[in-house]
Amino acid sequence: MSKALQIALGIITSIGGFLEIGSVVTAAQAGAAFGYQLLWAILLGVLCLIFLVEMSGRLAAVSKHTIVDAMRERFGFPFFSIVLLVMVLVAFLVLVAELGGIGLSLQILTGIGFPWWAIPVSFIVWALMWRGTFSLIENGASLLGLFTISFAVAAVKLHPDWGSTAHGLLPTFPGDQKAKYGFIAVSILGASISPYLMYFYSSGAIEDEWDESYIPINRVIASFGMSFGGFLSMAVLVAAALALRPKGIDVDKYEQAALLMTTALPRWGFYLFGVAMLFACLGAALEISLAIAYFFAQGLGWNWSENLTPSRDARFSLVYTIIIFLAAIPLVLGVDPIKVTLMGMALTAATLPLAIVPFLFLMNDPIYLGEHRNGWISNSVVTIVILISFVLAVISIPLQIMGS
Amino acid sequence: MVGDAWLRHTTPDKYTRQTLELSHDTLLQIADDLLKSPPSGIDTASLDSVLTRSRDRVAQMARLVEAKDAPSFSSQLDSLRADEKIVKQFSDSIESRQ
Repeated sequence: MSKALQIALGIITSIGGFLEIGSVVTAAQAGAAFGYQLLWAILLGVLCLIFLVEMSGRLAAVSKHTIVDAMRERFGFPFFSIVLLVMVLVAFLVLVAELGGIGLSLQILTGIGFPWWAIPVSFIVWALMWRGTFSLIENGASLLGLFTISFAVAAVKLHPDWGSTAHGLLPTFPGDQKAKYGFIAVSILGASISPYLMYFYSSGAIEDEWDESYIPINRVIASFGMSFGGFLSMAVLVAAALALRPKGIDVDKYEQAALLMTTALPRWGFYLFGVAMLFACLGAALEISLAIAYFFAQGLGWNWSENLTPSRDARFSLVYTIIIFLAAIPLVLGVDPIKVTLMGMALTAATLPLAIVPFLFLMNDPIYLGEHRNGWISNSVVTIVILISFVLAVISIPLQIMGS
Repeated sequence: MVGDAWLRHTTPDKYTRQTLELSHDTLLQIADDLLKSPPSGIDTASLDSVLTRSRDRVAQMARLVEAKDAPSFSSQLDSLRADEKIVKQFSDSIESRQ
């Protein structure tokens, strides 16, 4: 495949794979409750994600190590096992949320409650993992995720005030509901800076056999793919600010979010929302399941590759099999996927230092990166954003829980 | 909003009915919470009455969706909007006291 085609495909899959239930629900909540005021949180999260994804690809291309490989090798097993435990727990919550997102999308499209969909959906996700290859998961699901571009169409059709939109890119504090504002900001950051995305991306670079010649391609894909994906997130926020906020609708339930596009795209808006979310959550569920299996297999030194048949990496396949079916249990019991989503995103933000700080050490280690190690700009941007996320999480999560 | 959307034929019947049923349950929950510890200086009986009336209207609207009776649905929606204004007045009066 030519490099130009690889870049185009990489950018398209990044756009298609960017939105998932966490980014849509948090952006819709932000727009419905605070108008454009929280656009800055998406901007900050996406900026940080661009740097982190670029670093993940660079580490793999130069050192031929995934993040997990290198983390275990550099910091030893005791420290790695703590990171493994926390990251897998948080990723598991996000997986429950994504499977729930598929179920909720099917619920609004068919009228059949999401708990009924939990087992069939889990089975389909598992079957795609069992039978599929890495490129099917990376490209197939993400290409279907391009339906999410309809959010941008809806936002534009609602005629946003571009001046106010631009103003929202600068942080401002609300007059009241400070705890809610902080909690949504944290959830947006958690939804944007998902560590599972880094593990998935670096493992994908190894699966695709990247070498140093891929460094420029990696940079272009990370910058453009994530930026365009971030625009889609902002479009959801803008659409919610224009369609839901004037009616005083808070997005506490998925059913409310489904009304996001009915004002702008009356005839097909509702169905587009359902289909776009169905594919977006399916793509994310596949990526998270893979990321969790990669985490175990790479950390514990097992055979791993989505391109191998399950008989050749049995323990890798067993991990995703168990994780996917475990994730279905809370949904069968009727646990609200939206609550899981918000808690999952906030916890992701709170645990970011544990995932990112060791990664920054790796990215500055000449043994792994040589002349390609981080410069001061990458280090500063990522450190500042992670610090902001952590402080906001520590302050707003307890306040929000007490407030609820 | 879902009522308006249904009248414009932009949301399917099942989704509309389920969303209205969900709204009914949410209203019930809110009324329970509010009346357990009512804000001071509020006419609890009037608040209870308007919330009960709104809840009944929402339940009625869910049934009208089932019957595909758009004219009756539209009139219930107008009445619900009037109730919404009353609830908003309660909310504003509580906020002004704080």
